Amino acid sequence: MSQYPNNCKYTKEHEWIRADGAAYVVGITSFAAEQLGDVTYVDLPKPGKEVKQGDSTAAVESVKAASDIYAPAGGRVSAVNDALADAPEIVNQSPFDDGWFFKLENVNAADLDSLMDADAYEKYVGAQH
Amino acid sequence: MRRTPLHDEHLALGGKVVDFHGWALPVQFAGIIEEHNHTRAKAALFDCSHMGEFTIRGEAAVKAFGDLVCLDPLKIPVGRGKYGAMLTENGGIIDDVIAFRLGEFDFYVVTNAGPLEIVSPKICSSSDAVDVSDDTAKIDIQGPSARDILAQEIPECTTLKYYQARRAQWKGVDIVLARTGYTGELGFELFIPNEISVDLWRKLLTYPDVKPAGLGARDTLRTEMCYGLSGQDFDESRTPLEAGMASFIAWDKDFVGRHALAKKRDAGGYPVLTPIKTSDRRAPRHEFEVKNNGEVVGVVTSGTFGPSVGCGIGLAYIPESLTRPGTKLTAGPRDLEIETTTIPIYTKGTCRV
Repeated sequence: MSQYPNNCKYTKEHEWIRADGAAYVVGITSFAAEQLGDVTYVDLPKPGKEVKQGDSTAAVESVKAASDIYAPAGGRVSAVNDALADAPEIVNQSPFDDGWFFKLENVNAADLDSLMDADAYEKYVGAQH
Repeated sequence: MRRTPLHDEHLALGGKVVDFHGWALPVQFAGIIEEHNHTRAKAALFDCSHMGEFTIRGEAAVKAFGDLVCLDPLKIPVGRGKYGAMLTENGGIIDDVIAFRLGEFDFYVVTNAGPLEIVSPKICSSSDAVDVSDDTAKIDIQGPSARDILAQEIPECTTLKYYQARRAQWKGVDIVLARTGYTGELGFELFIPNEISVDLWRKLLTYPDVKPAGLGARDTLRTEMCYGLSGQDFDESRTPLEAGMASFIAWDKDFVGRHALAKKRDAGGYPVLTPIKTSDRRAPRHEFEVKNNGEVVGVVTSGTFGPSVGCGIGLAYIPESLTRPGTKLTAGPRDLEIETTTIPIYTKGTCRV
């Protein structure tokens, strides 16, 4: 049983993606949030933006560093988490739920096949240490 | 990596340890912002045992030291400290230092860990100057509650005003106590023998208002106060004129680098380390280029989110003509909008109360 949610798929850059009705919701993992430390700013895409898998789609800043958030799959941005503008610390508090970044629709399902499941991601993170 | 005598304490407290100039030190415990806010509200403990300390005794040794630094040790009143720098012949900053005059010819000098291998032989070229860094731990207690708490362990601390220092004792052991720091808050730096460091650290943490803090909070706190960090905001490629230390140069005496420095001062036209801020939570970062109307004019040396001011903050080398507070510039690959501001960026510190 992985410490990471089984209903998500994972990237090597520590994003997760999960089905949410007809769309998919994207965020960063608890491991990524912990590595970043206190998140201080989240830069989100405009809804309607078309992205390909691996495109830099959002950015996150912490006290220590700034990093890009890449689209785990191609699709169109259908919603963003506006709550992060005033309270970016939600990313640290609830990385897999309230701290989501954006939603994608018209997702290219084939892109999801290339991602890791929870067990594979846990092994991947373990190997990073 | 070298370890301080408090290393196991940091691990036991859940500290996340990183490499800082070859030393294993905690970057954070509970979280950088939480530790930052706690320091501004109550009191935090910092382990700075990696830093360099020297005892300098006797008139000849003090004078030899005075030749090495841009501050004038003989102008410091007994019981006080003074900030300055050790320079190369070219006027570049080898390290910044604080010299405490504990007696007429009894000095205690504090330097940084990074350049210690260069600094130590220079100071110790005089036989009455001793590098005590390896035997000395340094615990700092910083925050508005620091004095009330420390007074219960070391009552002498209440006699000190800002930037004063003295010898004192804890449980019969001699220590050096200075009312200085880098957070902008009321606080003390305690220079203690390694052997008592764990006991004192644990004792101070028994006070409910005291929490441990790491390098991360130290960095956000000092950046809000616009204190430059040796090795990051300045090194041998920068002079004190550029690094915001112009007022700490004792021009009326000789010291290594003075000649080059005077030439630079007279020629003018050098960039100056200047505080900057953003209009939102995005932060400038170390090594971001600074642009004026698209033209590169400078470089950011420190940058972070400022938890107490709620915006991105930093320090950047900028031509003097652009340093007037409120000057609008951009920084970094995405042309982050920044503006110059005044020192300190955070103005409600308690260090002088």
